[in-house]
Amino acid sequence: MRIDEYKDMIYACGRCNFCRGQEFNERCPEVFTQYWESSTARGRMAIARGILEGKLKYSEDLAERIFGCFMCARCREECKKAAQIDVIAITKAMREDFVEQGIPIPVEGAQMADSAYESGNIFQESAKAHSAWASGLQFESGSGILFYPGCLASHRFKEKTNILVRVLQAAGYKLDFLGDDQKCCGTPFWISGKMEHATKWVQDYVDMLSERGVKEIITPCPSCFRAFDEEYPSILGVETLPFKVKHTSEVLEEIIERGKLELKNSIDVVVTYHDPCEIGRYKEIYESPRKVIKALPGIKFVEMDRVRADAFCCGGGGGVKLMFSEHSEKVSAERLVHVQATDAEILSTICPACEMNLTHAVYKADAPIRVLDIAELVAVSAGIVDEEILDPYYIPDD
Amino acid sequence: MADVDITSLLSSIVGPERVTDKDFDIIPYSRDLSPARQKFPTHVVMPETKEEIQEILRIANEHDIPVYIRGGGTSHWDAYLPQEPGILLDMARMNQILDIDERNLTVTVQPSCTFSKLDRELRKQGLTYLCSEAGGPAMTVGGSVMKAGSGPHSTAKFGYHGDSDVITLQMVLPNGDIVETGSAAWPGAGKIKRQCLGPDLAGMFIGAEGVLGVCTELTLRIRPVSNFKERLLTMMSSLDDVIEFGHFINRHVGDEYLQGIYLWVDPNEPDAFLVMMDVFGYEEEIIDHRKRRILQWLKEHGYESMDPAPAHDYFDRILTGLTDIFAAGVWHFFGAGTIAIDKIRFLYKVWKEELVEKRGYKKAGFGGQVVPRSWLAFMVTNYKEPEEWDEIIKLANEINEICHEGPLVPYGIGGKDGLMPYLASHDTGYYRLLKMLKKTLDPKNILQRGIMIPKEELQ
Ligand SMILES: Cc1cc2nc3c(=O)[nH]c(=O)nc-3n(C[C@H](O)[C@H](O)[C@H](O)COP(=O)(O)OP(=O)(O)OC[C@H]3O[C@@H](n4cnc5c(N)ncnc54)[C@H](O)[C@@H]3O)c2cc1C
Ligand code: SF4
Ligand code: SF4
Repeated sequence: MRIDEYKDMIYACGRCNFCRGQEFNERCPEVFTQYWESSTARGRMAIARGILEGKLKYSEDLAERIFGCFMCARCREECKKAAQIDVIAITKAMREDFVEQGIPIPVEGAQMADSAYESGNIFQESAKAHSAWASGLQFESGSGILFYPGCLASHRFKEKTNILVRVLQAAGYKLDFLGDDQKCCGTPFWISGKMEHATKWVQDYVDMLSERGVKEIITPCPSCFRAFDEEYPSILGVETLPFKVKHTSEVLEEIIERGKLELKNSIDVVVTYHDPCEIGRYKEIYESPRKVIKALPGIKFVEMDRVRADAFCCGGGGGVKLMFSEHSEKVSAERLVHVQATDAEILSTICPACEMNLTHAVYKADAPIRVLDIAELVAVSAGIVDEEILDPYYIPDD
Repeated sequence: MADVDITSLLSSIVGPERVTDKDFDIIPYSRDLSPARQKFPTHVVMPETKEEIQEILRIANEHDIPVYIRGGGTSHWDAYLPQEPGILLDMARMNQILDIDERNLTVTVQPSCTFSKLDRELRKQGLTYLCSEAGGPAMTVGGSVMKAGSGPHSTAKFGYHGDSDVITLQMVLPNGDIVETGSAAWPGAGKIKRQCLGPDLAGMFIGAEGVLGVCTELTLRIRPVSNFKERLLTMMSSLDDVIEFGHFINRHVGDEYLQGIYLWVDPNEPDAFLVMMDVFGYEEEIIDHRKRRILQWLKEHGYESMDPAPAHDYFDRILTGLTDIFAAGVWHFFGAGTIAIDKIRFLYKVWKEELVEKRGYKKAGFGGQVVPRSWLAFMVTNYKEPEEWDEIIKLANEINEICHEGPLVPYGIGGKDGLMPYLASHDTGYYRLLKMLKKTLDPKNILQRGIMIPKEELQ
């Protein structure tokens, strides 16, 4: 079993419940949606220990508790004080155990991994559709800096992605793009536990990018960012890869700090910011996005109650959006409540999954709030796009 | 247990989504913070109202099924683990702050509101509840009060939670009756006073670890936040000095000299006594005065005030979570309880001579805090599960035996793997009264069966 590898950590859980935190039912998005102790980190450690000791077996019924984890890492953050348990690694290992033991996993999770493998993207669309967002843009093949949007940004946010590239290019970045050769980074494999193709996939990708002379990848997607930054080296058992990866939050900060764009337009709106789990708690990138927002003239920036390491998930993590959509919707609706408490007109974030989930929540609640990537705010301020995109009722073409 | 479909019966009360009998949902409730043996409920149910609890208890009585109660599940003396197959009430969903009464300085909460959440909300209004325990973010007000919590913070002045901060309680009795205590019992009086109507019935439930009723609401004393604080730290070289310092603090409790004092002795340096102090109040002059008096005492006894950073770190983390608690293994507290200030010599001697020297066990530290007129003291170790389990249990039982044969009042009674056997072995009038109360209020021994009082003693 994959969890054997984590035996020491599993037994290190002293059952302090720090992971449940002061909000109790409202801290961990999984316990918020599934109620039971078995949905918290402490519960999961008890389950894992039960499995290790032969008192419990993986079962189809159990799948909702293990695959219903948003992998938001809120519990892991709290456990840093107690036992330093990597709850995410253990959750991934448990998902792998399901697959290895042939126990049915949520169909949508399996499909996501299969689609990525078969079609190169999670939406099972053609390569052409995958790069349609780039129409009208010019790239510099072999420039060494690869722009890598990932599946969600390519398919669901064509306009946002197009704007982001225009911002980067206006700031002087010479971007390469894989075009029809672009494939999913592989995140669906480790999210679903279907790892049979992962190593080859990752190795092929590294070879392909090396051959192309890629030295740096810029991506707006925190999952793709972490894939190249953490999962690839871990799967291949290497310290570093032949290329570096940057998330756009850091690139935008660089643009602002070095004055690479003239921010000529004042944006007179109230903006709040949602910390994506995978760049926040996972990578501790809290300041960069805030610095960018605060540098834009005219903006009134307001914080939500639960931010940074304490931020509540958007509901989009861990594949839950696909596997248990009703749980995902409940969490995004709750996050929207936090947003509404600030009276912000713009909810900014910097993760396509958060943008999608929160946009759906806004539509469902018919709230007069527009969900924007920080790059779009920069684009308006720099005069790259019209300020009409700030309008809560603006509907992008995609 | 009777041959009935308990899942359906419970579902008919709370709805199917708040009842579970699935093995993977049950297993997370089978351990507590201690090495107590694993014990499984047959069902876990999450009530949201007192009426639901009433109904659950009615069914339990009807079918003779024991009911156990869990708040945050962070206690460490086998105090909620099902001693025999039964229903476990997971109180998690009753976690709301019901009313903050700024004028009367009271707050009313549901039992599973965490201290941490309560403090955060009170502070928004410049108020606070002085929680003395160090249980971290998920310890609940109800769980703590039901076992009369106490700890490193604020104890010198305020003592155990149950001493003065609980104003009124709302309890569901084992037979389903709902009662309120103190002024809350008088129609229209409000939740303002604990001791005002006959005997103090709140006191009967505080520390009873749920054996006499399920707590569904608590009203607590709150106060404005204090703006000034000082943390001090010193290392003393003799236990006699620590004891005298304890008396010095105790004598000035009325003057609010000091709110917290925490003693720690490392097993590898058993003659070095680390003392951390927390002084806080409303006026800078008063805090300065208190600090001056403490420094003067230390100077007169040849001690220096050291860098207070560890004291800041410790006291600031009481509600948010102390750090590295399981870095060297999981916890076991033993030799723990209430003891008169002078008698801490006895406990220290047991720790040093019996544990460290005779048994050569150098992984358990000795600690405590001064509470008015007493210490709340303990020994604590980090050990590796499962390989060190047998050793730690044997050792802890031997030490507990010696301590509780002496003047150490057990803190946290719990079940058979807690300190219940020590309480049960003392045939005192107190214990006989407790059993009488239990038999009267809970004739079928439904609530917390096997906790605090062995089942056989109630038959
Ligand atoms: C890091 C850490 C530090 C700690 N420090 C301290 C300390 O300084 N002092 C201290 O005393 N303890 C300490 N503890 C232990 C623990 O946190 C406390 O005992 C805490 O008060 C327990 O609260 P809980 O909500 O987890 O209660 P639980 O463990 O859930 O329950 C405690 C008892 O109350 C009963 N109970 C719970 N809810 C109800 C209810 N609604 N009605 C009736 N009975 C109920 C239970 O059956 C059980 O007997 C510490 C624990 C940790 C993890
Ligand atoms: S914080 Fe860590 S050690 Fe504590 S209960 Fe949660 S998982 Fe276990
Ligand atoms: S990772 Fe997030 S959703 Fe999963 S158990 Fe931890 S806090 Fe809950």
